Amino acid sequence: MDLLTASVTLVESVGDPYTLVTLAGEADVTNCDALREVLDAEVAKEPRTLVIDLGELRFMDSSALHVLLRANRAMDRHGGVLALARPGETVYRMLRLTAADQLIPVYESVADATAG
Amino acid sequence: MYRLHHDDVRARGPHDEDAFADGPVLGAAASRRAPGNPRPVSRGLGRAAMPPPSLADAMPFTYTSNLSEVRAKVRSYAKRAGLSEARLNDLVIAVSEAAANTVRHARSPGTLDMWHDEHEIVCEIRDQGVITDPLAGKRRPASDALAGHGLWLVHQLCDLVELLSGDSGTTIRMHMTLRGADAEG
Repeated sequence: MDLLTASVTLVESVGDPYTLVTLAGEADVTNCDALREVLDAEVAKEPRTLVIDLGELRFMDSSALHVLLRANRAMDRHGGVLALARPGETVYRMLRLTAADQLIPVYESVADATAG
Repeated sequence: MYRLHHDDVRARGPHDEDAFADGPVLGAAASRRAPGNPRPVSRGLGRAAMPPPSLADAMPFTYTSNLSEVRAKVRSYAKRAGLSEARLNDLVIAVSEAAANTVRHARSPGTLDMWHDEHEIVCEIRDQGVITDPLAGKRRPASDALAGHGLWLVHQLCDLVELLSGDSGTTIRMHMTLRGADAEG
């Protein structure tokens, strides 16, 4: 059983194309290595914008959060932007408590995350 | 499988609250020990870990990497105990973080045990890992830190945290006040 699924789409938008990673399920210490591999592979392509859609992610623990923070640093290094979209209540609680939402922009929708 | 006894009141009195007060009880002593010979940590549990009520008939849930099941069990038990939705989410996060520490640090399975009375619900995580930092989970990690949020989150999310660690392992008890009990004071 896959607790966590991640799908990657390269979105051609009117503005800049962006990479959209959609997560679903539950991300924790037991599967965050797989999450890191997915994100590492996308970050390595140095997209200008990488959006992670958290709308279907029911749970995220601090290990998974650290993977996001790490991806954010890597995006920073090449001048790209990581954005998070649609966090549910529990995931957003984690982002706020750890102040990760001060480091990574969080948006209500994928459209908002890619606007401007 | 899990106790859901409304009459299952843990032995407690007004003075017990002090014994359970959160704080680095052994902090000063521990900090004087030579490096390399760290002293295990005891916080909040006082002289000795009190056994949960009727532990004998309890069937703790054992986990290795099945943390999703741990979360589901906490969610369903806390819901039945009457914990509010927001606090329920917090408890699920806290227990998951405590159990994640088992996966990260202990080379053994862990166990989850839960009980409640009319005042509070308690989730207990035990494993064979050893915590030696007397301030473990008490300092806020830098927001961009890539480790060390787990135990800190446990302390942020729960109404009371008891932590006992020794050579035989670590016990973390996470308490959440049940509805109505807040209003008493």
